[in-house]
Amino acid sequence: MEIAADPVTPDRRPAPGGHAGRLPLRRPPGGRWFAGVAAGLAAHLGLPVRVVRLLLVLATLAGGTGLGLYVFLWVTVPTGDPASVAEDERPAALARLAPRLRSGQRTVPVTDIAVGLLLLAGAGLLVAVRNGVDVQLSWVVPTLILLAGTGLVWSQLDRVQRERWLSRAGGRTPVSLVRLVGGIVLVGIGVLLLIGQDEPVGVLVRSGAAALAVLAGAGLVLAPWGLRLVRELGDERAARAREAERADIAAHLHDSVLQTLALIRARADQPAEVARMARAQERELREWLYDDRSEPGTSLAAALRSVVAEVEDGRAVAIDAVVVGDRVPDADTEALLQATREALVNAVVHGRPPVSLYLEVAEDCVEVFVRDRGDGFDLDAVPSDRFGVRESIMGRVRRRGGTATVTSRPERGTEVHLRVPVRHPQRRDAEGWA
Amino acid sequence: MSEQGRTAPATGRTGPVDVVLVDDHLMFRTGVRASLDSRVRVVAEADDVPSAIAQVRAHTPPVVLLDVHLPGGDGGGGAEVITACADLLGATRFLALSVSDASEDVVSVIRAGARGYVTKAISGADLSDAVLRVADGDAVFSPRLAGFVLDAFGTAAGDVAIADDELDRLSAREREVMRLIARGYSYREVAAELFISIKTVETHVSAVLRKLQLSSRHELTRWAAARRLL
Repeated sequence: MEIAADPVTPDRRPAPGGHAGRLPLRRPPGGRWFAGVAAGLAAHLGLPVRVVRLLLVLATLAGGTGLGLYVFLWVTVPTGDPASVAEDERPAALARLAPRLRSGQRTVPVTDIAVGLLLLAGAGLLVAVRNGVDVQLSWVVPTLILLAGTGLVWSQLDRVQRERWLSRAGGRTPVSLVRLVGGIVLVGIGVLLLIGQDEPVGVLVRSGAAALAVLAGAGLVLAPWGLRLVRELGDERAARAREAERADIAAHLHDSVLQTLALIRARADQPAEVARMARAQERELREWLYDDRSEPGTSLAAALRSVVAEVEDGRAVAIDAVVVGDRVPDADTEALLQATREALVNAVVHGRPPVSLYLEVAEDCVEVFVRDRGDGFDLDAVPSDRFGVRESIMGRVRRRGGTATVTSRPERGTEVHLRVPVRHPQRRDAEGWA
Repeated sequence: MSEQGRTAPATGRTGPVDVVLVDDHLMFRTGVRASLDSRVRVVAEADDVPSAIAQVRAHTPPVVLLDVHLPGGDGGGGAEVITACADLLGATRFLALSVSDASEDVVSVIRAGARGYVTKAISGADLSDAVLRVADGDAVFSPRLAGFVLDAFGTAAGDVAIADDELDRLSAREREVMRLIARGYSYREVAAELFISIKTVETHVSAVLRKLQLSSRHELTRWAAARRLL
């Protein structure tokens, strides 16, 4: 039952050249007295609510146009917070702020007021009858039934939309269906009684059946059209979601890609710098396109990738990283990562490319292999005062109860193997791989 | 790249290997054409699914270099091309080429019948080596593909296959080979490390490829299914 309100809201789009345009016409959930028409109008026109209400009341007193306008807008204008709707209309990337906190839902309990009014009307009626006024029940009762039915159906309008806003489940609950059907039945009976007046019951039933038959026929004819409308609505909504997603990615990526390209063009004479920028940009793009970005501090694989990125950016080399498995990082794996960083730097600086990195997360330990194609070095020949390898790689890992070995063979390159036992096996279901 | 230093397999072949190059980006095709060495000859190019199928059928080349993401057809990309040419798989072999590291991309083309998977960052010499290797009927595993295999088949102790014909688990030796490849070892280096012949390494890799294609292991089928659902 989503009513497109476009005809009533000609200026939903912000005026070009500034977002200080008019708020769209919506019936806000907060600050309303009855259905939010006055509040919405006030927000839309930029007038105080009080003035709008006064005008409406005056217009109602002067011939009922105010009431007519109110009812018309109630039916045609959808509910929603005008401010947040206006934000939704802006490009997705610009409106990534949390939806504004809604100040208190409707302050006046509409249902209670409606029931109260009905009771008051009933009481007034009774008093009038008691005092001898000739109330024609044949007119009053159908009118009341008609009003009750209409109210029931129209209360549905709000509720269905609210549910859609909240959950997007789109499904109507049985209760709401009962309300709808009940309202329609009441309205039907009211109309029949009103028109039928003094006709015998048989005639009423027959004319009711005839009306139903006509309605059913019309429904049958219009059903395909209605179905198509519903389907198009769904398609449009999906297209909009895609559009928003695309705008989001475009804003985040194209900016940085274009910037990198401009930088590359400017520094075309510095191959090392160009390679470094291209590599960094590639990594960023890749992360955006293919990775499910994980929360910081939840993925050892992601932490390793950032270590690799740091070394790559700092030294302008490419590191071929392969990760198998994943887990939540802890102090042990943190030490392993630090040692891995040192090993990578060592391989990049002293070894020969390509540099390969392999990390495997097993149930009880995490292993890292860092390999380069250099001639390698003899661990025993490394003077003990050279802090690099001995302390920053070996020491870190051994203090955590792990092992660190360096294998170096001429023409076969050098490989650093780090292994750290992990205490709490909490291997995650690793779907991604670096 | 890590495939560097991998020797070209010994072949009894004379003259270059014919290749059909399929990729939707002209710039990339030009780059690949220029970087391939004299052992490989590009006989035709194609830029979408229908033209790829037509070119492969017209030339039946020993090797097709196939991009994973291709426009046209039913949207199945490279996997769709392989499926459509399934009857040629004896004579024509597919080597998948992609910028994507996404596992579902790998799974779909490998399971469709590709003999290997390399990323587009590969150097020209390594790519030529890979083409020759595929032409000889061997499988080409990049470190990333090996890492993916280990991830998919599991690295826990209980995941080792006892019998040779088990499709859902790797044997201890196959896993060792995969781990070395993931660590950046070439086939030759793997052979030296494990004291086996290169031919044996190739046998192991082919066996892993077969398992990758035929296994009904949960992780593999899930990825494949997710792919088809998209």
